[in-house]
Amino acid sequence: MRKRDINDARRRGLSLSRRDALKLGIGAAAVAGFPAIVQAQRVPEIVIGGAASHKPWMDKVVIPMFERKYNCKILYEGTRSTINLEKMRAAKDRPVMSVVQMDDPVMIQAVEEDLIEPISVAQVPNLAKIKPGAVHMDGMWANYQQPWAGVAYNTQHLPQGVPTWVSMWEPRFKGKVVLPSLQNTEGPWVLFMAAHLETGKPLKEAQYDIEAAFKRLRALKPNLLTIYTNLPQAFNLLEQGEAWLQVTFSSWALLRKQEGSPVDLAAPKEGIFAMPSGICLVKGAPHRDLALAYINEMLGAELQTLLTPITFSLPTHVDVPLSADIPQDIEVFTPDWAWFTKHRAQLVERWDREMAI
Amino acid sequence: MGVTAAAAPVGAARTRKPRRPVDLLVLLALPAVGYLGFFFALPLVALLAKSVWTSAGPSIESYARFFGDPFSWQVVGNTLKIATLVTLVTLVLGYPTAFAMARARGIFQILLLVAMILPLSIGVVVKAFSWQIVLRRDGVVNQLLVWSGLTDEPVRFLFTETGLVLGAANIFLPFMVLPIYSVAKMIDPRLTEAAATLGAGPMYRFFRVILPLSMPGVVAGIAFVFSMAISMYVIPTLLIGDRYQTLATITGRSFLFLRNEQLGATTAVILLVIAVAVVLGSARLARGLRRTA
Repeated sequence: MRKRDINDARRRGLSLSRRDALKLGIGAAAVAGFPAIVQAQRVPEIVIGGAASHKPWMDKVVIPMFERKYNCKILYEGTRSTINLEKMRAAKDRPVMSVVQMDDPVMIQAVEEDLIEPISVAQVPNLAKIKPGAVHMDGMWANYQQPWAGVAYNTQHLPQGVPTWVSMWEPRFKGKVVLPSLQNTEGPWVLFMAAHLETGKPLKEAQYDIEAAFKRLRALKPNLLTIYTNLPQAFNLLEQGEAWLQVTFSSWALLRKQEGSPVDLAAPKEGIFAMPSGICLVKGAPHRDLALAYINEMLGAELQTLLTPITFSLPTHVDVPLSADIPQDIEVFTPDWAWFTKHRAQLVERWDREMAI
Repeated sequence: MGVTAAAAPVGAARTRKPRRPVDLLVLLALPAVGYLGFFFALPLVALLAKSVWTSAGPSIESYARFFGDPFSWQVVGNTLKIATLVTLVTLVLGYPTAFAMARARGIFQILLLVAMILPLSIGVVVKAFSWQIVLRRDGVVNQLLVWSGLTDEPVRFLFTETGLVLGAANIFLPFMVLPIYSVAKMIDPRLTEAAATLGAGPMYRFFRVILPLSMPGVVAGIAFVFSMAISMYVIPTLLIGDRYQTLATITGRSFLFLRNEQLGATTAVILLVIAVAVVLGSARLARGLRRTA
């Protein structure tokens, strides 16, 4: 082939010079070899599902500690418990998440749909050290902490807070009370407390008396500013003084107080409620050993000692003392979640009607 | 008779127009038609099917159950009331604004257009949150009311229907203004001058010349705003909260929380039927008004 023909062919892209061939060879080798190089350097990666509001302390405390100790990588997917449940359903045949941290009522749904599997003391030794009532359904899940719920208040308008749940019904709070929706985990507290106030029965009995609860709640309607499903947005109202009282829980309210917001959380004399922060193993979880190790750490004394003061929660490990911010001599009530979960849809429907504007 | 019957086809054949060849430019619409067919029409059919499909086969049971519940009528009433009020407020505010924009010249027109279009680049959530600040007891609206002496003390706007209508009308205003503006710009100003020279007063000129000519824009604006207002989900969630249920919020809750897909599909179909009926009805009304004008 004459030189001019070769040049023509090159221009048309039909031929390769030695230099082009060399470049191509190096490129092909790099492309072929790259995944192997990455694979050799990659550490195991597990996906943990949890609440969006937990991300700050997960990033600050839990994830660095666990990654360092187990030479792995954690991907934390922070969202609502019901969304995590939906993700588990969608990936039931090929789970992506290994561990999920969500609230007890949603855990019950996950058990019913066969999405999670039980853990035992043999797999998770710290399970033996968890206080009574915090391990559920024969080890299907356990509570790694229990934020407490009470009545949050704006300290500029109410420097002394409120001593009792009955205060919410006082005429001076007209249009200034915010409640969580029954769709939220913190939603049922006011329902149970209304039943208790109406009947005078202990919370353990009163929680099933829905008629009494709604009778009392109807009387609260003039005082309601709104009912929320989105906590940060609703809490903004309290911080800005548009609302004066809001039923909510410690890991949010006291964190905002610590950050400088004019809010505090009252523990009224009738009692406070234990929020159910659970942790479970996803059925067919990828990196099962790491997942079990993670659950063990979350239930262990070391992590709970670090976590409970910054999440303003009750520990569930028997050896971890209550932090100074926790009310020491108030009854902490844990409701019958199984009963509530069973009736939740009907209760939400009725709540919508009874509490509508 | 026989002759007439026999002659008819011949006559028909004589009057039949020659077939026009198919314009191949129509094919340019194929990608959009395919896209809408696959991502809009098919899901819509699936939604409709879901609303009528039960374990025992097709049934209108879910619709009967929905309309048999007085609370559902309250929800439908809320939805229609809010959508109508928002549409009316945007129309009252938007109509003169659109004409001001159309008649403005130079930098003023550009400024008005930018003021109308720029807010479209801000997310609905941001705008709704801003309205929360504006409508607070110590917000700008209440400060103005108290300062002007119209009220002695702050009025509660947040989490009320008034607050929702004000916020939603602000968010949807450009969708009313822009269609009217595009039509108003096309109206020849000499038409009103001609009417004036024939002795027509300002009111007569407006109702018999300007309004009929601007009706296509008004109808388009009403169609846009009403269909968006009737199906809004985020704005009511942020501005009035969970205590005020509309068809859109019930639909969202049924799918996302209650996992009652049939109820969600039923309310979604009802919402769609109402929106389509109102939009088609207003278009028909506008045609009627144009004819009588």
